[in-house]
Amino acid sequence: MRKKLSVRTIIKYLTLILASIVAVFPLLWIILSAFKGPGEINQYPTNILPKQWTFDNFRYVLSELNFGNYIVNSLVIALATTFVAVTISALAAYGVVRFFPRVGKALTRLLITTYMFPPILLAIPYSVIIGALGLVNTRIGLIIVYLSFSVPYAVWLLVGFFETVPLGIEEAARIDGANKLQVFIQVVLPIVAPGIVATAIYTFINAWNEFLYSLILINSTEKMTIAVALRALENQEILDWGQMMAASSLVVLPSVIFFVFIQNKISSGLAEGATK
Amino acid sequence: MIKRIKKINYTSWLFILPAILVIVSLLLYPVLSSVVYSFTSKHLTRPVSTFVGLQNYKKILADEQFYKAFFMSIKWTVASIGGQVILGFILAMLLNSIKIGKKMFRVLLIVPWAFPVVVIAVIWKFLLNGVYGFIPTMLVNLGLTDTLPQFLSSGTLVFPTILFVNLWFGTPMIMVNILSALQTIPEEQYEAAKMDGASTWQTFVSVTIPHISKVVGLLVILRTIWVFTNFDMVYLLTGGGPANVTMTLPIYAYKMGWGLKLLGKSSAITIIMLIFLLIVCSIYFYYSDKKEKENV
Repeated sequence: MRKKLSVRTIIKYLTLILASIVAVFPLLWIILSAFKGPGEINQYPTNILPKQWTFDNFRYVLSELNFGNYIVNSLVIALATTFVAVTISALAAYGVVRFFPRVGKALTRLLITTYMFPPILLAIPYSVIIGALGLVNTRIGLIIVYLSFSVPYAVWLLVGFFETVPLGIEEAARIDGANKLQVFIQVVLPIVAPGIVATAIYTFINAWNEFLYSLILINSTEKMTIAVALRALENQEILDWGQMMAASSLVVLPSVIFFVFIQNKISSGLAEGATK
Repeated sequence: MIKRIKKINYTSWLFILPAILVIVSLLLYPVLSSVVYSFTSKHLTRPVSTFVGLQNYKKILADEQFYKAFFMSIKWTVASIGGQVILGFILAMLLNSIKIGKKMFRVLLIVPWAFPVVVIAVIWKFLLNGVYGFIPTMLVNLGLTDTLPQFLSSGTLVFPTILFVNLWFGTPMIMVNILSALQTIPEEQYEAAKMDGASTWQTFVSVTIPHISKVVGLLVILRTIWVFTNFDMVYLLTGGGPANVTMTLPIYAYKMGWGLKLLGKSSAITIIMLIFLLIVCSIYFYYSDKKEKENV
């Protein structure tokens, strides 16, 4: 009995180790390749670890290829989207949970319905509307458009977090004479702060990673976001994989690092939303 | 029953007003505009467009490429979601059953979830590159093939390849959510099943499945919508090629709208997509509601 069990355990661990290698390998490969020089990266057979670690790829990508600028573009857009979307969504999620509890189920349906709108469908009116507003090639245009997917998702997640706040605490504050907004800011927000941080980070990652709208609404090289800049780099005639990998590291690392911190909260939020 | 005679409370509405504005102006209004465009000759660069009735729809429904793209989208979605659920399930069960290293494996396994699609495309194209890519050259070195496999440019290999990439990317999300759901199953239920002499399989069917079916059901519908409507993944990996074999509906619509500049026709394609999704999801919700009522 004991022996049989341990063979089983070994198989389990081997499967998990293999799956983990498959999951993590591309990330490792990006980072390791980014440090390889031009001679080494196309060598056959390839070394896994760089023989000579070099920062040249990063230096070139950041200064010559202007990725410093693209990082700033993406950072500004993603941070502004996050701030606006989380503010709007926190108010809405709290409003629904506290004042319109019966809307709850209908809201889930509404959010799923909006989720059904294909981005490629929305891209057409967005390009027309943003064009008419004169906001093509502007950060503000992209920030507005990003609210379309970040607000529904953030509301979805935040409703789950606000539902955990006990009503009693709020009533005590109301008796003390605080108005609704004061209760919200002074009493409720501190309680759900961890949930809001997780939602904000998730919103940030999604805005940082976004590709299609940025492809369609930005056509000046100066204003490109980092995702589109990476794609543009890939389409260049002479493709330098070392530079590509350095640029890829700059795009992927912020997402992965932030994500590892919040993954627990995001997944339980979705699961809780589903069981209602 | 509490009486619902309340004054209309304006401050309550103020909380949800901004979100309603976003949903109306950035989601509902654009979709309605798209419906309108789909009946016109709207062009990407020409300012004037005329009403053309059902012309766009007729032309699209007569285009062989549309049916190919539709079929490809369905095949892509079904295979991706099916594979992700199966793999996600297996990994979640494994994670749930081990004692040491659970957290570490969980973190390692979710890494692909955070990847921007652009980077997914770049790294897999690099790893699978048909001249010096790590994976093809390794396969040759191991003696598994004589020639370098052209994973992304061979008409037969390309679909399994992009499917693999999508499984790599999408499985973690399913896995983590199934794992969360598994952890909510009370231990007593397993013990009770054991006492009744249920086999592992019977326990699985009668305890595990019913408990997680709701989470999995919703997850499947959300991910189905995502995969079906997603433009980036296939576009960035293959551009719809080689020879249009991996062209999905979003890529078809993109090429119509931004390649040929025919926004009216492109809108018609996307509206057909939306109608199709609405039908599929309505069927899903009809049955899930029915099931819920039966259970109550």
